Amino acid sequence: MIMECIDFTSRLDDYLDGQADERGMQAHLRGCAECSRQYQHALAVQAAVRKLAPPEVHPAFGDQAILRATRPNAAHPRRRAVLGVALAASLVLGVALGAYLSMGDAPVQSVVLAVEKPETVRMVFNSSKPLRAATLSLALPDNVEVVGYGSRRELSWQTDLREGQNLLQLPLIAHGTVKDELLARLSHGAGTKTFRLKIETSNAGTSGM
Amino acid sequence: MPPVFPYRSTRPAELNFEDLIRPQVEYLYRLAWRFTGSVADAEDLLQDVLLKLYPRTQEMLAIQKLRPWLAKVLYHQYVDSVRQRARSPILELVAGGDGEEDPLDNVPSSRDGPEQDAERSALRDRILLAVRQLNPEQRAIVAMHDVEGYSLEELAKMLETPIGTLKSRLHRARQRLRALLPMEPFSADERVNR
Repeated sequence: MIMECIDFTSRLDDYLDGQADERGMQAHLRGCAECSRQYQHALAVQAAVRKLAPPEVHPAFGDQAILRATRPNAAHPRRRAVLGVALAASLVLGVALGAYLSMGDAPVQSVVLAVEKPETVRMVFNSSKPLRAATLSLALPDNVEVVGYGSRRELSWQTDLREGQNLLQLPLIAHGTVKDELLARLSHGAGTKTFRLKIETSNAGTSGM
Repeated sequence: MPPVFPYRSTRPAELNFEDLIRPQVEYLYRLAWRFTGSVADAEDLLQDVLLKLYPRTQEMLAIQKLRPWLAKVLYHQYVDSVRQRARSPILELVAGGDGEEDPLDNVPSSRDGPEQDAERSALRDRILLAVRQLNPEQRAIVAMHDVEGYSLEELAKMLETPIGTLKSRLHRARQRLRALLPMEPFSADERVNR
């Protein structure tokens, strides 16, 4: 009995793993151009993911990581970014915060995204004193995602701001035409400050402020 | 006759933490990068794992197959850290010094011309972006099964998760990747590069 396409599709992953009826699957592949294309595509995707190689581990990382593990009091820098590199590579929206968050809105900034092209928008917050457990909330316009957070329209994090410069790094992607605002709200105690980021899309594949 | 301990290692007891871990650092870093998709997050994850492992050095001496055991510890640390806190995107700025490399900026060089390099770079960006759009557990199963080659049976034992759950997680992850990486020109490009 000849296998139907729907059966082939449902067993495709098993077949990729060598767990399906080989003869039946191969017989179907020989007679069905569409399923054969699907199979080739699945193989190509698997091969592409396998070929993704991480950047080489920093030569000193192993030594430092072992040292920090065996001497827990050793310095443990985390989540760092190079100011020069970060600012050169991205859109940067500088925002100064006072000693305390004042009520009211910051000036509107704008950014142009190309559709389906991820762009990291970086905002620098200057804080004149450390703020512990500040809450950062984002409200995203339709068609805009923070990469890695799926279709969630509202995101919120609790974070500590250090005295001086703090970098908010948002990998954004537009999935369609956008002409709207992203709202970023930073709250600490009774104070709240809202930042508005105008987002527009262009077909030219360029981005800028 | 002395009792047989099938999982008891024959490693000499004088091996220390560094002797055990150093040969595994690169492997664990690679796996952590595949889980997290970023160099800085991979380094942080691995550092957290090493901090937890150091007090367990004696236990590690008795592990026969250390690599899968370490992969399991790394996986659990990764999933726990994702569950416990939605990571804040606010980073600490450091003026100068070593910094985070965005994997999207890191493209292997080749002997091809700039056009081919640009095409390869764009393709790599698309694949990385697609992988980043999987949820953390989907990324982990793709990394451990499709890339590192652990079978579902091995993973079911390692991760103490029913095989059916892993199978459906893998199925959804692959479906999502295929949807995010459509047939053309992706497949054609891949075929050219084989």
